[in-house]
Amino acid sequence: MASVHDQMAAAGKVKRSKDLPQGVERLKEEHRKVVKDCRSQIEHWKKVENDYESLQERLRTLPDKLSYDIMVPFGPLAFMPGKLVHTNELTVLLGDNWFAKCSAKQADALVEHRKKHVKNTLDDLQKVMKNFQNRADFTDDLEKLTGDTGDFVDIREEVINEEEVTKGKHRLAHKANSKPKQVYLLELEEDKEKKEGDDERTTGVLSEEELWARLDELERQEELQDERYRYTRLDSTDTNGEDTTSSSEEEKEADGGSDVQVNGHQKENGWLPTSITSQMNGTNGSHPEDEEEEDCDEEAGNGLPTIYFSHTAEFKKVRINTGKNTTLKFSERNEQKAQAKRKKKSGKSNGHSPHESYKITSPADIYRVFVDLVNGEPIPRKSILKSRSRENSMCSDTSESSTADFEERRAAFGRSWSHDDATHSDTSDGITEEESPTGTSPRTNGRFEAFTGTVIEKDPLPCSIPHLTIAPPALPTIPERKLEEVGPEAPQEPPKRMSKFKATQLHQK
Amino acid sequence: MAEAIQKKLQSELEKYQQLQKDVSKSMSARQKLEAQLTENNIVKEELALLDIQNTVYKLIGPVLVKQDLDEAKATVSKRLEYINGEIQRYETLLKEMERKSEQHREVLSSLQHVNIFCFEMPQAADM
Repeated sequence: MASVHDQMAAAGKVKRSKDLPQGVERLKEEHRKVVKDCRSQIEHWKKVENDYESLQERLRTLPDKLSYDIMVPFGPLAFMPGKLVHTNELTVLLGDNWFAKCSAKQADALVEHRKKHVKNTLDDLQKVMKNFQNRADFTDDLEKLTGDTGDFVDIREEVINEEEVTKGKHRLAHKANSKPKQVYLLELEEDKEKKEGDDERTTGVLSEEELWARLDELERQEELQDERYRYTRLDSTDTNGEDTTSSSEEEKEADGGSDVQVNGHQKENGWLPTSITSQMNGTNGSHPEDEEEEDCDEEAGNGLPTIYFSHTAEFKKVRINTGKNTTLKFSERNEQKAQAKRKKKSGKSNGHSPHESYKITSPADIYRVFVDLVNGEPIPRKSILKSRSRENSMCSDTSESSTADFEERRAAFGRSWSHDDATHSDTSDGITEEESPTGTSPRTNGRFEAFTGTVIEKDPLPCSIPHLTIAPPALPTIPERKLEEVGPEAPQEPPKRMSKFKATQLHQK
Repeated sequence: MAEAIQKKLQSELEKYQQLQKDVSKSMSARQKLEAQLTENNIVKEELALLDIQNTVYKLIGPVLVKQDLDEAKATVSKRLEYINGEIQRYETLLKEMERKSEQHREVLSSLQHVNIFCFEMPQAADM
C-alpha cells in the first residue's frame, strides 16, 4: 500500500481519511480469503466428482466376470490372495447408516444421482468465487481511481447561479467514465443509517436483477436529491453545501458525509446514498473543499484528475414545441415573463422593451413578427398592451399572435412545463406560486387579452396547477392543449369573458 | 469508585464472553443439523430409486439389521422432520442469545465510557 500512501501525500490538499488505504487493504484481504476458501472447496468437490467417475467405470466393468482374483487386504499390513465373487451384488451406503443391496446397474444409477448433487455444489461455489473475484477487482479499480493512477477523469461542473430557475432540482454533471459500480463504495459513512445491501451488493459485475435494483436505487436517490435541493433552495440563503437545515435525515448524513471525501472508502459497503452523496459533495457539499478544488484543476478533492466544466452564462435552453411547430427558448420565456410582469405592474403601454418584439432568437420570434405583418398591425405589442389596459378585451389579432403572446404569459407562470428533462420544477413552482397572488388580477387580464384560441385557466391560483399537469408530457404543444382546455373551462369563467371567448371561438371556427 | 466500576466491567465482560461461547456452540450444533438434513434428503431420494427387491440394512452399532424398504422410507422421513424441528428450535435459541449478547454489549460500552472517565480524571490529577 506504499503507492497509495505516496499518492495520498501527493494529493496534498485532499483531506482523505487515513482509513482509506487500510480499509481497502482489509477489504481486499477479506475478498482474497473468501476466494481462497472457495478455491479449496472447489478442489475438494472436484476430487469427489472424479472419484465418482472412476467408481462408475469400475461398476460398469465389474459384472463382466463372474469372479476376480485379487489380493485381499488382511488387516492393516498384509494382503492375501483371494477371489472377488458375486460381482453383481453390491451393498451401497445410502448415507446416515443406511445400506441397500443393489445390482451394479442400480448402484450406477445411485452414483449418477449423487454426482448431480456434487455438480450443484460445485456450481454454487463457482458462482460465489466469481462474485468475490469481481468484488476484489472492483476494489482494485477503486483504489486506482482514488489513487490517480487510472485513466479516470472526473468532470465537474460548478453551479454558481443559485437563483437560476431550475425548479428545485439540480442537474448534476455525471462524472466521465464513471460506471455505476464505482459509485457504490463512495460515501459509505452515510450508509450506516440506510444500510440496504451488504457486501454482496458491491460487485462490479451486476446480474440483471441487480441492475434493475440498482436502477431503482438510483431513482430513489434522485428523488432524495430533489427533496434535498428543494430544501436547500427554499432556505436559499445558505448556499453552503453543508446544509444547516436538518430537515431530513439525509441532509444530516450529507453533513456527516461531507466531512469524508467523496472517495472515502469504508469497510461497510452500503448502496444507498453513494451516488447522491458523491454528487452532493461534488456540487453542494463541502464548500471548503470546493474552494480548494477550484484552485487545482488536476488534483481534485477526489484525487482524480478533474475537468471543470461550466455552462455558458445563458440560461438553459430548452426547445419547446409550442403550437404550430414553433420553439421557444427557455431564456426567452424568462425574459418574457419578466417583461410581462413589468408591464402588468406598470400598466404602461410602452413599458415593454423594444427588443422583445424585434429580437429574433427563435422561430417563434419570427412567427410573431410575421404575424404582425399579416395583420397589418405594425406592432403586436401595442395591441396587446391595449388589451391589457382594457379589461376583458379580446385581442383582435389572429390566434397566432395571441397564441404567441399567450405563450409568453404562460412562460410567466408556466415554466414548469417547459422542461421535460429539467427537474427543477419544484422550487420554481414555489417561486411562481409565491408571486402568483400578487400578480393574479393583472395576469388574468393579460391572459384573457392574449387569448384568441387558447385556454386560460379559470382561476389565477389554480393556474399553476394546470401548468404542472401539462408539464409532464414532453414538449407539449401548448396552444393546442389550450384549445382542448377551452371547452371545459369556458363555462366556468365570468359571463363577460365567456361571451368573448365564444365569440372568438366562433369567429375562429 | 473506579475499582468498583472496573470490577463491574470485568463481570460484565465475563458474562458476555460466556454468552458468546454459547452462541458459537449453538451455531455449530445447528450446522451439524444442517449437514444431517442434506444427508437425509439424499438418502430419501436414493431410497426412492430402489425397488422392493433390494434389501435395505440399517447399521446399528456393529450390526447390519435388515429393514423393510417402506419402513426405511418412513423412518427417514420421520428423521427429516425431527431434524427440521431441531433446526427451528436452535434458530429461536440463537436469536434469543443474539439479543442478549447485544444488550450485554451495550452495557459493556456504557461501562467502558464511565470507566474511562473515572480513570482519566484521577490519572490526570496524578499527573
